[in-house]
Amino acid sequence: MLRRVQCLLRLHSNGRQALASRLRCYSTDEGNPKQNQNSNPNPRAQKPGTKNLPAVRNPFAAAQDRTKDTYLTMVDIFQERDVHRRNHVEFIYAALKNMADFGVERDLEVYKALINVMPKGKFIPTNLFQAEFMHYPKQQQCIIDLLEQMEDFGVMPDHEMEAMLLNVFGRQGHPLRKYWRMMYWMPKFKNLSPWPLPDPVPDDTLEMAKLALERMCTVDLRSKITVFETSELKDAIDQTWIVSGMSPEQEKLLREHSRQKALYIEGPFHIWLRNRRINYFTLRADPDPQFLSQLDERQLDEDDVSHIEVPFFGRAPPRRHNQVGKLRSVHQQDDGTILAICATGTSTKDSLLSWIRLLEANGNRSIGEVPVLFRFTSEVPAKAQEIEGGASVPATSDNRSSSQYEQQSSKRE
Amino acid sequence: MNSLLRHGHRLGCCLPAVQQQIHTTAVHRTFWEREKKSGYKTKLPEPSKKQLIIDGLRDLKEEMKLWRKEVREQLKSDPILVFRPGETDVVFDFKAPDVLDKWTVTSDADHGEGKSTATLELSSAGAGLFHGDVNSDHTKDGIIKRTGYANIRTKRVRKSFKRESTYDWTQYNMLIMKVRGDGRSYLINLHTEGYFDLMWNDIYHYVLYTRGGPHWQIAKIPFSKFFLSSKGRVQDRQGAIPLNRVTHFGFSVAAKKGMDGPFGLEIDYVGLEYDPSHREEFAYEMYQTPKYIVAT
Repeated sequence: MLRRVQCLLRLHSNGRQALASRLRCYSTDEGNPKQNQNSNPNPRAQKPGTKNLPAVRNPFAAAQDRTKDTYLTMVDIFQERDVHRRNHVEFIYAALKNMADFGVERDLEVYKALINVMPKGKFIPTNLFQAEFMHYPKQQQCIIDLLEQMEDFGVMPDHEMEAMLLNVFGRQGHPLRKYWRMMYWMPKFKNLSPWPLPDPVPDDTLEMAKLALERMCTVDLRSKITVFETSELKDAIDQTWIVSGMSPEQEKLLREHSRQKALYIEGPFHIWLRNRRINYFTLRADPDPQFLSQLDERQLDEDDVSHIEVPFFGRAPPRRHNQVGKLRSVHQQDDGTILAICATGTSTKDSLLSWIRLLEANGNRSIGEVPVLFRFTSEVPAKAQEIEGGASVPATSDNRSSSQYEQQSSKRE
Repeated sequence: MNSLLRHGHRLGCCLPAVQQQIHTTAVHRTFWEREKKSGYKTKLPEPSKKQLIIDGLRDLKEEMKLWRKEVREQLKSDPILVFRPGETDVVFDFKAPDVLDKWTVTSDADHGEGKSTATLELSSAGAGLFHGDVNSDHTKDGIIKRTGYANIRTKRVRKSFKRESTYDWTQYNMLIMKVRGDGRSYLINLHTEGYFDLMWNDIYHYVLYTRGGPHWQIAKIPFSKFFLSSKGRVQDRQGAIPLNRVTHFGFSVAAKKGMDGPFGLEIDYVGLEYDPSHREEFAYEMYQTPKYIVAT
């Protein structure tokens, strides 16, 4: 009988949906009681006459000095205030909510300090029914939410945290299950990217531009990243840096490019490195359709046995397709030949002009003989003076300035 | 604080009569689900009976054509048995005509839960361009905790007369994609929708890291790397993807970790390949898991 009851319970709390239901859980708004009053959908539920005062004062909202030390001190004060630590669940929710203000949302030590607020040994179930019915559900859900927040910010727990959770909730605790899942999957996905980046990425714009160019240039291993200063040129208006990426193969393609056909400077396109967006420009030539069609293997269907040509009658012996032809470079794509990529400090027309002149000065003579045209997908200022008064395209930007990009059409022309 | 206290409590001391019926918080019925959209189904106005008959007759013609093709294939009985290694069989080609009709674009703004925008259109290079703007801002209604996603998915594969069917990719072990991204990572979703409500949301995921930049990139991902999740939660009981039960294919992008802003993924084609050198069946360990702990 007991087994059957257990079986039913298991069905009821089936993992998939029970887990999904945890997505929607209550949020607390101790920080601003005023907002809380407004958000209450049912004023009749309150007793008339009682003021809607917060039960717990939120020390985090009132703090002046927003640093990690203050944060940890407040956690300490809460722990030492009295022996019962009343309202510790509300305290942890408030603490979780205000983490970003203190800049500690990626700090494992802080999360551990919050788990340490929980009393040890009190929430460990002592019998089967307690273990099965999520003993102290509010407390368990609170720590599950804490772990979830860690997961969202990509903070990987360590084995000390497991010991702490075991001391609080015991082996059957749901936070432990969450922890074990995290420790199984997070290390697997942590270093999965084939283009690893420092975490957090550097704040310096030039460093970011270098990282972006390096990443884009992994397509050709012989690519070289060069950092130019426009001060090298005599009459450049913008005094800034230019990070340029070009490979010997691209230099060769540029040398062989017809002098009559134009090159295009296109952009600004963007590339994301973690949460930073970097604008870049490309130097592109139109594709050479004759060369590409000559390579196109799809034109010759080798499986088609209905038209086998007899080599003896009136034709030259068949040559193996494209046996001694030119090889297609990775830069010769169907929609254009990429000749160079760059990111400049100001993303202005003048800095791009300086880029072309610097390329010419640094071993690409032929670029001076070819017409170079600008083709922008969004408005690009002519020179850097304009950028100071509300620029439309700075070199890098974080997510906050995304509204400036609305005019940009994302089609690659 | 109040909302916390109210959680799970029933409405009002002033209304004792209805106290037993009305819940102030959403009820999560964990036992069964009424429909596949889990409450997100948008009710569309039903066309008139006359219109239904006209549409039905028009569709009938197309369906008969499809059915005739199926029968002919059945009679011919000439299935492909040898899958040559190193040869990519294209499944979703954006160069094909009417390709955009085969895809559905969704974002969190569809149900008023977010502000992301997304579109799928053809780019000037002739490929499909999935682009838009993901935004993690949302209305603070106390229920939704995080938003900011955009998603494309193919329509359910079907046979004639609107009968649902599945893809059969058992002969292949690699997913090949020619894409041009913007440095973001995208989520590849392989839906294996099952018969029972528990299996309606089975999706196998893996990450598509894009290089960014003007060059095209060919991503080759073994099917063994895909892991099972349901409603966004990675499952405890894992297993290799049943390739004969794939129902949809799609990409997702999220504004997680402050990556709010524009995105753009250009897809030329999605194909399949058989690589005999790849012998792995499932990339993740299959531990003997403790009883009553997993999947709870």
